[in-house]
Amino acid sequence: MSILSMCQWLQDTNIGTSIRESIWVFPIIETIHVLALSISVGLLLVSDLRLMGYIMKRRPVSEVYEQIKPWMFIGFAIMVVTGIFLFWCQAVKAYNSYFFRAKVVLLVLAAINALAFERGIYRTVDKWDNALVPPMEARVAGWVSLIFWLAIITCGRTMAYTF
Amino acid sequence: MSAIIPFFQWCDNSFIAQSIRNSRVAFPIIENFHLFALTVLLGSLVVLVLRQFGLVYKAQPISEVASALRPWNRWSMAVMLTSGILLFLSEAMKCYGNTSFRWKMFFLFFALLFQFTIYNRIVKNEGASAPIGGKIAAAVAVCLWFGVGLAGRAIGFLG
Repeated sequence: MSILSMCQWLQDTNIGTSIRESIWVFPIIETIHVLALSISVGLLLVSDLRLMGYIMKRRPVSEVYEQIKPWMFIGFAIMVVTGIFLFWCQAVKAYNSYFFRAKVVLLVLAAINALAFERGIYRTVDKWDNALVPPMEARVAGWVSLIFWLAIITCGRTMAYTF
Repeated sequence: MSAIIPFFQWCDNSFIAQSIRNSRVAFPIIENFHLFALTVLLGSLVVLVLRQFGLVYKAQPISEVASALRPWNRWSMAVMLTSGILLFLSEAMKCYGNTSFRWKMFFLFFALLFQFTIYNRIVKNEGASAPIGGKIAAAVAVCLWFGVGLAGRAIGFLG
C-alpha cells in the first residue's frame, strides 16, 4: 500500500469525510489551529529569546524555560490534535503539497533541535543559569528553534494557498 | 454606512492595492507576516495574563514581566497593523460587504482602546500579585484580542 493510497483511505474514512463536508467543523478546527499558535510558538518564543539573551536577562534561564514549558506543551498538544484532524480530512491534497512535505520535515528537525538542546547544553545549565547571555550552543539552539518555527508557520499557511 | 463606500472604493483602486492584486506572491507573503505577528502579539499577551493569574514567573513582579514583553508586543502590533492595512487595501470592496470584517474592526477598536487606556496602565502598577480587577482586565484583554483573531480568520470562511 503506497502512502498516497493510505492518504486516500484516511480521508475517505467517516471522520475524514464528515470534517471535510461539514460547514462548521473544518473552520472551527482550523481557527483553533491558528489561534493556538499563540500558546505554542508564542510561548516558545519567550524561552528562545531568553536562550538568545534578549529577554528577561536577569532571571535564571531554567526559570524562564521550565515555568513556561507546561503551558507551551498544552499549546503544542492543541496544535497536534487539530493538525491531525486537518490532515485527516484532506490527506491527499496535503500529501501532494510540497509545502506540507517541507512542514513535516521541518517539524522533525525542530523536534531534533529541541531534543539535542535538552540532552546537550541544557544538562549543564547550572553553570550558566544566571548568565545574561547564555553560551553559544544555547544561543544557537534558540535561533535554530525560532527559524524552524517561522518556516513551519510559513509552510502551514502557504500550503493552504496551493489547495 | 453607504457614505463610506467611496473610501473603500478608493482603497480598492489605489496603486498599492492593484500592485498586491497583480502579484501572485505579494498577498501570501504579507499574510505570512500577519501570522508571525499574530503569534508574537497573542503569545506575549498570553504570557502576561498567565503571570497575572500567578501561573508563571511568580518570582518576577507583574510590571517587570510586562516591561520585558512590551517591545515584542509593540513591534508585533506594528507589523500586524501594517500587514493588515496592506491586506485590507488589496480586497477593500470584499471587506466592505463582509460581516466578519466588521466584527474584526469592532473588536480591534475596543482591543486597542482597552489596551492603551486601561490594561497597560494596570499591569505597569502590579507587583507580586494581581488584584481581582487586574485579573478581570486580563480576561477582557484576552477576549478582545482573541476576538480580533477569531473574526479575522472568519473573514475568509464566512464572508
